[in-house]
Amino acid sequence: MDSMYDFSTLGWVRHVVFHPGEGFEDLRWKKQGSLKLSFVIVLMLFIAMVAQNRMVGYAYNTNTVKIFNVVPLIVQSVVYFATWVIGNWCICTLLDGEGTLKKICIFSAYALVPYIICTFIAVALSNVILLEESIWYYAFTYLGIGWSVVLMISAMKAVHQYTMPKTLISILLTLIAMLLILFLAILLLSLFQQVYVFVYTIYTEIEYRIRG
Amino acid sequence: MNGFKKYAKRLLGLSLAACTALTMSVTAFAEEPYESYSYDFWDEAIPSQVGYTVDTTISGREMELSRLSDPEDPLFYSEDASASLSEARDFDVFEDSEIWIADTGNSRILVLDSTYRIKARYYGVTGTSKLEDVEQSEDGKTSMFKEPYGLKVTTSPVTGKKTVYIADYSNSRVVRAYVASDTELVLEQEYTKPEEKLYTSKTFNPSKVQVDFAENVYVVVKSVNNGAVQFKSDGSFTGFYGANRVQVTAKVIAQKLWRKIASNEQIAGMSRTVPVEYANFDMDDEGFIYTVTEVKTDTDAVKKMNPAGYNVWDNAAGDDYTFGDNTAAQYDMTTKKSHSTKLTDIAVDKNGIINILDFETGRVFQYDRLANLICIFGTNNATADQRGSFSSPNAVETKGEKILVLEGSKTRNDITIFRMTVFGENLHKAFEYYDEGLYLEAAPYWEEITKRDGGYTYAHVGLGKADLKNGNYKEAMERFKIAHTRKNYDKAFEYYRDQWLQDHFTIIAVIVIALFVVWLVFKIIKVSRARTYKLKHKN
Repeated sequence: MDSMYDFSTLGWVRHVVFHPGEGFEDLRWKKQGSLKLSFVIVLMLFIAMVAQNRMVGYAYNTNTVKIFNVVPLIVQSVVYFATWVIGNWCICTLLDGEGTLKKICIFSAYALVPYIICTFIAVALSNVILLEESIWYYAFTYLGIGWSVVLMISAMKAVHQYTMPKTLISILLTLIAMLLILFLAILLLSLFQQVYVFVYTIYTEIEYRIRG
Repeated sequence: MNGFKKYAKRLLGLSLAACTALTMSVTAFAEEPYESYSYDFWDEAIPSQVGYTVDTTISGREMELSRLSDPEDPLFYSEDASASLSEARDFDVFEDSEIWIADTGNSRILVLDSTYRIKARYYGVTGTSKLEDVEQSEDGKTSMFKEPYGLKVTTSPVTGKKTVYIADYSNSRVVRAYVASDTELVLEQEYTKPEEKLYTSKTFNPSKVQVDFAENVYVVVKSVNNGAVQFKSDGSFTGFYGANRVQVTAKVIAQKLWRKIASNEQIAGMSRTVPVEYANFDMDDEGFIYTVTEVKTDTDAVKKMNPAGYNVWDNAAGDDYTFGDNTAAQYDMTTKKSHSTKLTDIAVDKNGIINILDFETGRVFQYDRLANLICIFGTNNATADQRGSFSSPNAVETKGEKILVLEGSKTRNDITIFRMTVFGENLHKAFEYYDEGLYLEAAPYWEEITKRDGGYTYAHVGLGKADLKNGNYKEAMERFKIAHTRKNYDKAFEYYRDQWLQDHFTIIAVIVIALFVVWLVFKIIKVSRARTYKLKHKN
C-alpha cells in the first residue's frame, strides 16, 4: 500500500494539516518535506500579518491607521520563527532530540499553515460582516491559532521522537531560549552600536589631526 | 554694459523693496494671539479655525469708573474711589444685560449695563450683620463688604425681587440682599459658619456661591473638601453637596498599605490624602449643577450633578468624558514642559453650551450639551498685554452669544469680550441641530465647516449621519472612515450590505442554483462512471 503515501509536495502539507496525530510521523518516515516550501510558508506568514494589519474590515481595525510600520511585523513573523527554530535546535540537541536544524525548520513551518489560512479567511470575512457578527471573525482567528498550536506540538514530538511530557517541556524550554536569544541579540546590537560610535569618533579625531 | 547691469540691479532691488512695503501694509490685520486647534480620535492636537475672536476689552476707563469719585454724579462714593478693577475674582451676567462684578481688591460690587458702562455700585448692604467683626459704615446703617470673592444674581421666586448672593470672603459670610437702588442693597439673610459638629473646619471663607430654584444656597468654602456647603434659604445648614473623590494614584495605594502596618504615632505623622475642593460651579436651566476642580488628573475635574449630588458624567460608570487639554499633546518645545491644566471656572448658557476656563493656559474650552468639544480659544501670556491673552483669568460667563472672560491679575484688570466668527456660528447651529437628532437640517452647516476646516471630526460624523438618513450608505461609510468612528461605520455598512443584497438578489440566487446544478451533474457523472468501471471489471 505504498501508493497511499505518494503525495506531491503540497499534498504532504495537506496530509499533515489534516492528520494532526500521525501526519508528521508519516512525513518523517517518508523523509519528505521541502525546505524551499517552508521558506515560502514563513513569507506567507509575514504577508498574512500585513494583511491582518492593513486589509481587515474597517470596523474591525483597531490598529492606529495613521502610521504603518512594517518592521515590527517582520520581527513578529520572520525573526520570531528563526529564533524558534534555532532555540528549539539548541535545546533539543541537549535533550537527545533526533531533529536536525533543517527538519525542525520544515516541520515548524508546516505547522503554521492553518494559522496563515485562517488569518486570510478571517481578514476576508471581516470585510463583509458586521460588528454584531464578530463571532465568525474571532472563531476563525482562534481556530487558526489553536490548530497551529496542536500541530506544532505534534510536529515537535515527531521530529525529535519524544514522549508527550518531554515535548511540552522542550517547548517551554525553547520559549525561554527564544527570550534569551532575543535578549542577547539586543545586547549585542547595542554593544556593536557603541563600538561603531567609538571607532567613528577615533576616525573623525584622526581626520581632524591630519587636516591640521 | 557694466553700468547697465549695476543700474538694473538697483532697479530690481528698489522694486522688490517697494513690493515688500506694499504687501506689509496690505497684510496688517488683527490676528488672534492664539493658535486654534481641536483634538482628533487619537487625542492629538490638530490645527483648526478660530471659533471665537476678540470683540473688545473693557477696563475701568471704558466702564467710566471715574464717576465714582465725581461728587456731581449720582453714583459718587468717595473722592478716592478707585477708577479701575483690582484683582476681580468673579462676575455674573443677569438676564443677558447686566454684568455684576465682584471687585475683590476694592471690596465692592459693580454693575455694568449692556453697553458695558457703570450702572450701579455697592460697597455694602443696608442692615446690621450678626457677626461682630464686620465693619459698619460711619453712619452705622451699612454693613461693609470685605473682599467679596463671588456673587450670583437671580430673581427671587418668593419675593420676585432682583436678589443678589455675595460670598463675602474676609467677613466669613454669604449675604443675600435685594436691590433697592443703584447704590443700595438691602440685607435679607446672612449665611455664616455652621455651628454644628458635621462642619469641622475652623474657618468659613466663602469663595463662590450658587442658588437653586428652591432657594437652597450652595457655597464653596476655602479648605473645605467635603463638597459645597449647603444652606436652606432661612440660613440653616443642611449639609454638604457632591464631594469630589480622591484620584487613585500609586502614591495613594502605597499610603493605604503603609497605614495597615504603621503604628498610631506613625500614622499621625503621615499626610492624609483628601479630595480637592471645587474651584467654581454653575447651574443650567434644568437645575443641574456643573462643577470644576483645579486638579491635574481626570477624576472629577468637571462634574455635572443632579440635585441629589450624583455625578452624571462619571467615567467610572463606563463613559469616556474628557475635558480640558490632553496635557501630553501640548508639549511646548520652547519651555520644554507640557502644560498642566487647571480648570477654574465653568459657564453654561441657555442652549446648554458649556464653557470651561483653564487658568493655567488661559484657554476657554467650549463643549456642547453632550460634552463634545466644539472649539478652543484664548491663550496665556505672562504680561497679558495682548487682547485675547490672559495671565490670571479668573472667571468666564456668557452674555447672549458672547463669551466674557474676567482677567484679574495685579497689572491688568478687565473683561475681554469674545464674539463668534462665521466658523463659530456654523459650529453652533450645526451642533444645535445635531444634538436634537436633526441631521439633515445640520448638514448645510457642516458643509460650511468642512469648507473652512476639512479636518473637523464632528463635521464628518454629522454629514455621515445625514447621508445615512438620505440613504447614501456608501458616502456615509466614507465620511465615517474620515471621522474614524467605527461604530457609526458599522451601522452604515449594515444598511449598505442589506441594500446590496436586495439589489443583487436575483443574480446571487442564479449563481447559487447554477453552482448547485454543476455540482450535482459532476456527482452523477462520477457515480455513473464508477458504476460502469465496476461493471466492466466484473465482466
